[in-house]
Amino acid sequence: MRDLCTLNQKQLDALRELGNIGCGNAATALAQFLNRRISMSVPNAQILPFSKVAELAGGPEERVMGIYLRVLGKIKGSFLLLMPERTTIRMLKILIPTSTVEIPLKINDFERSCLCEMGNILAGSFLNALSAIVNVPMFNSIPSLAFDMAGALIDSVILGMGDVGDHVLMVETMFTDNQENLKMHIFLLPDPVSLELILSAIGVN
Amino acid sequence: MPEILPVGMAEMRISQPPDVLAVYGVGSCVIVAMYDPKTRIGGLAHIMLPCSSGVQTEKVNPKKFANTAIPLLFQTLAHAGVFRSNVWAKIVGGSEMFPPADGISNSVGKQNVEAVLKALDELGVPIIAKAVGGNSGRSVEFILSSGKMSVSILGEPPKEL
Repeated sequence: MRDLCTLNQKQLDALRELGNIGCGNAATALAQFLNRRISMSVPNAQILPFSKVAELAGGPEERVMGIYLRVLGKIKGSFLLLMPERTTIRMLKILIPTSTVEIPLKINDFERSCLCEMGNILAGSFLNALSAIVNVPMFNSIPSLAFDMAGALIDSVILGMGDVGDHVLMVETMFTDNQENLKMHIFLLPDPVSLELILSAIGVN
Repeated sequence: MPEILPVGMAEMRISQPPDVLAVYGVGSCVIVAMYDPKTRIGGLAHIMLPCSSGVQTEKVNPKKFANTAIPLLFQTLAHAGVFRSNVWAKIVGGSEMFPPADGISNSVGKQNVEAVLKALDELGVPIIAKAVGGNSGRSVEFILSSGKMSVSILGEPPKEL
């Protein structure tokens, strides 16, 4: 099996571009869902040691909302959306004008369900764009949601990759809306076996 | 001044007073602390997965797996001068952060805890305290001057273990 650290610059660029397209599609979907303009940062595909992943999300003890989905089909992986507490509250107020959420965050069943649906839409649009390029159908599982320390959420997602190496491939981007700050991170972590499939599908294996 | 020494994923560290060994934001990983109250030497292992068998890579990091990390920590402490029969263990972690929507759980956290219990049992190291399972992340500080652990969950004051 391929050691992630051996990926060359061309392969990383190709993966970054895939991430770019996926995130672009997700941003469009989010803009339609929220009915407002959404801009996004240039996605960043990186090979990271496990210990560095939590730092990107603001440190291991940062309070974040995590929405997690499994990528299913021939290409498998994990899709993780991390939203800071502040973004989660803003998002909920946009989605549900009557919502009374505030820091410290506590959400009811309806708010939970809204956030899950948002995760569903983002993951679905991201994966649709990817499927079209690599020509392999991809699906996502039902979303699962948790509000906790960033480190704990990330550790439980990357454990599955731990038997192959000490690094993960991660595509990260950030969404922002002009009027309100909607900072969030999208992480796509292909399972190590699936990485090979993706690379050969885009002709850089 | 006690120094706070972080122990990253798949890492292991031993030290002595006044140091504090710490791991922040533990999810499904399991943190195993071993301590000899006489010499006050102790160590932490930050374990990711239950078992190293069946892993097909050239280089296996023994600190990553319960079945290899725990004997290694025990051995390292013995080399550092602890008396094997004095050593006790405390364990923290093994949560299931994202409960599956379909209710079918195959939690790595739970498997990790089981593997840790087995490995400690095989070495004959008694477990004197634990905070494992559930659906919450934890932060851990292991205070080597007293052997006490401080475990905190988001939104709650730290508890002593």
